[in-house]
Amino acid sequence: MEQLKRLESGIQGLDALFKGGFVAGASYIVQGRPGSGKTILANQLGFNHARAGGRVLVATLLAESHERLFQYLSTMSFFDPAKIGSEIQFVSAFDTLENEGLDEVVKLLRREISRQKATVLIVDGLLNARSKAESPIDTKKFISELQGHAAFAGCTVLFLTSSRLDDGSPEHTMVDGVIELGEELFNTRSVRRIQLRKTRGSGALSGLHECEITDEGLKVYPRLESLYSYPSRTDSADLTRVPSGIVALDRFIGGGLPRSSVTMVMGPSGIGKTSLGLSFLAASTTAEPGLHFGFYESPERTRMKAQALGHDFRAMETAGALHLCWQPTTEGLLDGLGAHLLAEVERLKVKRVLIDSLGGMARTATTTVRLTEFFSALMNELRARGVTVFATWEVRGLFGPDIQSPAPDLSSIVDNILLTRFVEHESELKRLLSILKVRDSFYDPSLLELIIDGHGMDLRKAFKNAEAVLSGSASTIPKP
Amino acid sequence: MATILIVDDEYLIADILGYALEDEGYMTVKAGNGKKGLEVLDRERPALVITDFMMPVMDGLELAKAIRARGDLSHLPILLMSGAQGSIGRSSPELFSAVFDKPFDIDDIVAKVKELAPLDD
Repeated sequence: MEQLKRLESGIQGLDALFKGGFVAGASYIVQGRPGSGKTILANQLGFNHARAGGRVLVATLLAESHERLFQYLSTMSFFDPAKIGSEIQFVSAFDTLENEGLDEVVKLLRREISRQKATVLIVDGLLNARSKAESPIDTKKFISELQGHAAFAGCTVLFLTSSRLDDGSPEHTMVDGVIELGEELFNTRSVRRIQLRKTRGSGALSGLHECEITDEGLKVYPRLESLYSYPSRTDSADLTRVPSGIVALDRFIGGGLPRSSVTMVMGPSGIGKTSLGLSFLAASTTAEPGLHFGFYESPERTRMKAQALGHDFRAMETAGALHLCWQPTTEGLLDGLGAHLLAEVERLKVKRVLIDSLGGMARTATTTVRLTEFFSALMNELRARGVTVFATWEVRGLFGPDIQSPAPDLSSIVDNILLTRFVEHESELKRLLSILKVRDSFYDPSLLELIIDGHGMDLRKAFKNAEAVLSGSASTIPKP
Repeated sequence: MATILIVDDEYLIADILGYALEDEGYMTVKAGNGKKGLEVLDRERPALVITDFMMPVMDGLELAKAIRARGDLSHLPILLMSGAQGSIGRSSPELFSAVFDKPFDIDDIVAKVKELAPLDD
């Protein structure tokens, strides 16, 4: 099967949406309301293309001055004024459009593509061209002629427009691809989205994907479950065990956690989920480094907490055995977090990850509908990369008979489940840990008491003579 | 009355500059690129040319070279308005009498025009 030559935009995540980049020599409409990021997308692509040795022609059909545009773009790291006037030419065709019409604009741009030896043409202000066209046929003709000249010169074209063109519009029918940028409000929070509405000659990750505009320009975060619908590599068949970080727990689960498995510890606030996770991380080594991917506690607090359990995280960090990655924001994007986690795992060659907590990560989701699919894809990818994951998830209710699963279909996400609860027994508040599931393993089903003190964490069999322990209010079974 | 030729593909900048010079008593003529500028030049015989650098068809550098190539216009003052290409203009003093980096102060450019093409001439 033949693959068409691609033009990489150099924009994080965007080329992945096209499964390899724009089709070189093809034409695309980039549409979205003013402020949606069209100009940034196009110029970022332009500057990246110039940096890679290409030549770019930016033609505006708008009245806005180029200097104003440069002022805004100068706040972005991709902007390089040294490229302007050499590899990137900005020309205004507004006057030609106003006074001489669409045909003359086509002639002007045809000459300029050739004169500048442009390999990318950006036409900003397609709406103005449409308003100058006497009929939809004229608009089609304008696009088709420009496309023809550009394709002949091997030049990829981006038409930018602030109107929301319908699928049946003459513009859409003519071009090879349509990229739509938008913004949606979720309560008081605004989330930018990108969608490929048409792609000819290339595969595409369909649907809406989150994106953001930062000082580095546009960043696109493909929906993780679409990007990794299949993990990027084959899952390991390694059946060995890795230490959980708690010696007693390893005894109860057959020698440790299965390598490249996902363990979830669920329980109420204050029960010790994070402490279990920190003990898991404390078993990281320079050969198999660990990553703390946390949402609530700052690195300093995390180190202090670990210290209280007898673990010197700072020394481990210095040795390269441990990395702390704190996500203090609640404004983050779910797919952005997933991409960041995977990038850090790759960059730091991490083999052990604590996600504290899955609930913190889930809070950034704009819809809970896709959480199971998202976490399934993320965990599958981490497993495939040989990472053993320990994740916490807070459940509501400190006491009471109800235990609510944090997500439906947990089995598709995790391999091992540890349930923790506060239990009132014999006038004492105790911590209970129950092993609900361990992948492909036998485990001790006893109810265990979790003990946290200055020496670290320990587990011991308890509640032997008690009943209704999981309800949170245990009662001692009367002796016969 | 002295005539000033303004060559810029961005009509807004050409208009703003044109109004400022007309307020001072100059006549202005405009062209959207270097090639059209040369056509206007033959017709209007301006006392000074103000040109942008980056334009379609013929850019400001090419325009200045074309003007200098004509013996009769070798001393015609040419001012360059430039964004990132100011250094190119400054390295060619034989072509440009002055270079103004965008965004420029309109009063500075008007003052330079007055100096190089006085109205009482």
